[in-house]
Amino acid sequence: MPTFAQFMRAPFARTNHFFETTKLGPYPIAWYVSGWRGGLLVLLAAILFPIFYDQTSIQPLLGDGIQVGIYVILALGLNVVVGYAGLLDLGYVAFFAIGEYVASFLTTGYIFSKLGQSPIIVLKSPMPFILIFPAAALFAGFIGVLFGAPTLRLRGDYLAIVTLGLGEIVPIFFQNVPWFGGNVGASVLYIPNIQLPSLVSSIVGFTTISLTPLLNKAGFYFLTLMMVVIVVLLTNSLRESSLGRAWIAIREDETAASAAGVNLVRTKLLAFAFGAAMGGLGGVLDGANSGSIVPTVFSFNTSITILIMIVLGGIGSLRGVILGAAILRLIDFTLLGQLNTFRQTSPLVTNIHGILHFLALPQFDFNQAKFLIYGLILLAMILLRPQGLLPDRRRQRELVGIGESAEAYSAVGLLEREEAGEGVSGTGSEDMTLFTGSGSDAQGREG
Amino acid sequence: MLEFAATNGGPVLFFQQLELGITLGAMYALVALGYTLVYGIIELINFAHGDVFMWSTVVLLLVSNALGLKGTLGGFALIGVLILFLAIGMAVSAFLNVSIERLAYRRLRKAPRLAPLIAAVGVSFILENIAQLTIGSGFIAFPPIFPTTALNIFGVKISILHIFIFGLAVGLMYALDRFIQTTKLGRAMRATAQDPEAAALMGVNVNRTIFMAFLIGGALAGAAGLCYNLVIAQVNFFTGFKFGLIAFTAAVFGGIGNVYGAVAGGFAIGIIYALSIQYFNFLPGGGVAWVDAIVFGILVLTLVFRPSGILGQQVPDKV
Repeated sequence: MPTFAQFMRAPFARTNHFFETTKLGPYPIAWYVSGWRGGLLVLLAAILFPIFYDQTSIQPLLGDGIQVGIYVILALGLNVVVGYAGLLDLGYVAFFAIGEYVASFLTTGYIFSKLGQSPIIVLKSPMPFILIFPAAALFAGFIGVLFGAPTLRLRGDYLAIVTLGLGEIVPIFFQNVPWFGGNVGASVLYIPNIQLPSLVSSIVGFTTISLTPLLNKAGFYFLTLMMVVIVVLLTNSLRESSLGRAWIAIREDETAASAAGVNLVRTKLLAFAFGAAMGGLGGVLDGANSGSIVPTVFSFNTSITILIMIVLGGIGSLRGVILGAAILRLIDFTLLGQLNTFRQTSPLVTNIHGILHFLALPQFDFNQAKFLIYGLILLAMILLRPQGLLPDRRRQRELVGIGESAEAYSAVGLLEREEAGEGVSGTGSEDMTLFTGSGSDAQGREG
Repeated sequence: MLEFAATNGGPVLFFQQLELGITLGAMYALVALGYTLVYGIIELINFAHGDVFMWSTVVLLLVSNALGLKGTLGGFALIGVLILFLAIGMAVSAFLNVSIERLAYRRLRKAPRLAPLIAAVGVSFILENIAQLTIGSGFIAFPPIFPTTALNIFGVKISILHIFIFGLAVGLMYALDRFIQTTKLGRAMRATAQDPEAAALMGVNVNRTIFMAFLIGGALAGAAGLCYNLVIAQVNFFTGFKFGLIAFTAAVFGGIGNVYGAVAGGFAIGIIYALSIQYFNFLPGGGVAWVDAIVFGILVLTLVFRPSGILGQQVPDKV
């Protein structure tokens, strides 16, 4: 643990001049928005922002917030597998699906009725809603171990393809075995009616309105936020635990890690289990939020969307992954609509012919181009800034001694570093121990 | 299961499905060759290869619309159109594959292994979605230009089209084999596959070899695109993902990096695919719903138990 004095010492030697020097009270601005303080600020903003909106327009915004929260959880879970342990999982959506179906199974009895055991769909949860989270997480984690076990011997790219294959098989299973409702999907009819404690609700201002639980998203929003905080704290402490260091060791060099006494099988399986469990949590939240399961969501596109969130923000970086998830969801919710408006009003694009002719079509909707934009983001990040928007601090420290060429591939180097494995310098070690407590800083050095 | 087969038509049905499987297998083998050539030389799973194949089907659809083709052709018109389509399809896919290599993969050649794979996923997304924006998201029928004549051998119908496709695929594979075994460039490709650094020291132009692998792989996928349009006749932007994954399964099943393995794997997976549709019909939703799961199951089992495939050599992992 760093001492308080060490903690105070300017951790921004190479950061933005403005943040470094402009003071706000006794400390530079950077001090306030870095590490856990920055996280706390973001959390406070997330808690308080409903106050500043009027009650009618807040509901869709809270809905967007819930979606962002769900994808933050999914991205953080995938980050454990891809970012920490360096195992590329292209079928992550399978665990998301499993979480949703577990929620359906536990809350509605719908699947029981399909089995013929009970003709009545149970409308009320047989168990407290909050207990569904650990149940789904445990079950998804168990499936994660089952999936991980046979694939552990495989090298990185083969592992990616195997997980992709498994990720395709699971939705086919759910869509075709009649118990699960086929292409229509199953129901998660029980939507939790979360009552806010009176003190909180009087502060936030929801006491004045009484909407049905389906419409009043505030309770569910705060539930999602709570789960996000739990997952953030969990993944952060996992990274700093002995297990997290073992993950990083096998990510850097499997053979060396094994020689140093890391149990490869157990460590990799735990990465799969933790990642899958968080995928399950996201699935429960999504199912409970929408009230029904749409099996078409469990496609390869969703797996890749979550991967793009990680690559965009910075593989292995907690704050980066959260930022990436938020950006991609906001593109989905806001930017595409703005582009539609722009396209309709701007005369620039009416004369386009050839392959881009769709831009001139009056009925063209930019939402159709969503995955094109995602693909461009993924390719651009890998080619131009593979370390992501907010790279992992430890990663950056390690790369200081390697030089320019290796740094260019730093983020992907997280996955598997055959080329630059020997270049890890010891110069950053002191700084590393210094900042183990703080997961983020304000503005990472721009590479 | 055997009883089930017997009640549904017995040997005639079996051979009918086998004939379909061999036709599918010819197409899978052509696409699988593209995966295996590239993997053999730079150890990259070219995830966008299925979409390169798909773009051949899309461009051929656009060309056939431009030519105003509607119904069955005959005689020299058919031969002329087929040669034209083959040339266009192969050129489009080869050009696309080479461009992807030049723009995306070449920059990442020294990067850690998973960087090009992630880039390939991004390229695949881009190609798919441009196709979707170009032709829409529905299935568009390709005009049935080939006559539907079929030979009848003991009740098994063998269509002329399927014979043509088998002949085309085998002809291209033979040409590829001759190219690899006898020409100077082919020898350079084999040398680069074995040891790129040693090959470079011996004066092999590695960049040109990699270029050739992408060019040939793309051209074969383009030919497969023509075959697909003639047999399946449904053009869709998402075809490449599933077709590519099945062809990749074929390449892995045969032993990735081995061109003969890709051909054997392609035919094996094609036959398994066609037979599964028929003989797994007892599953809920029918065999069609499960056939992808069965093929991906084969992929997973092959990679887990015999990553070198049925024809590949057992190679220890590079440290």
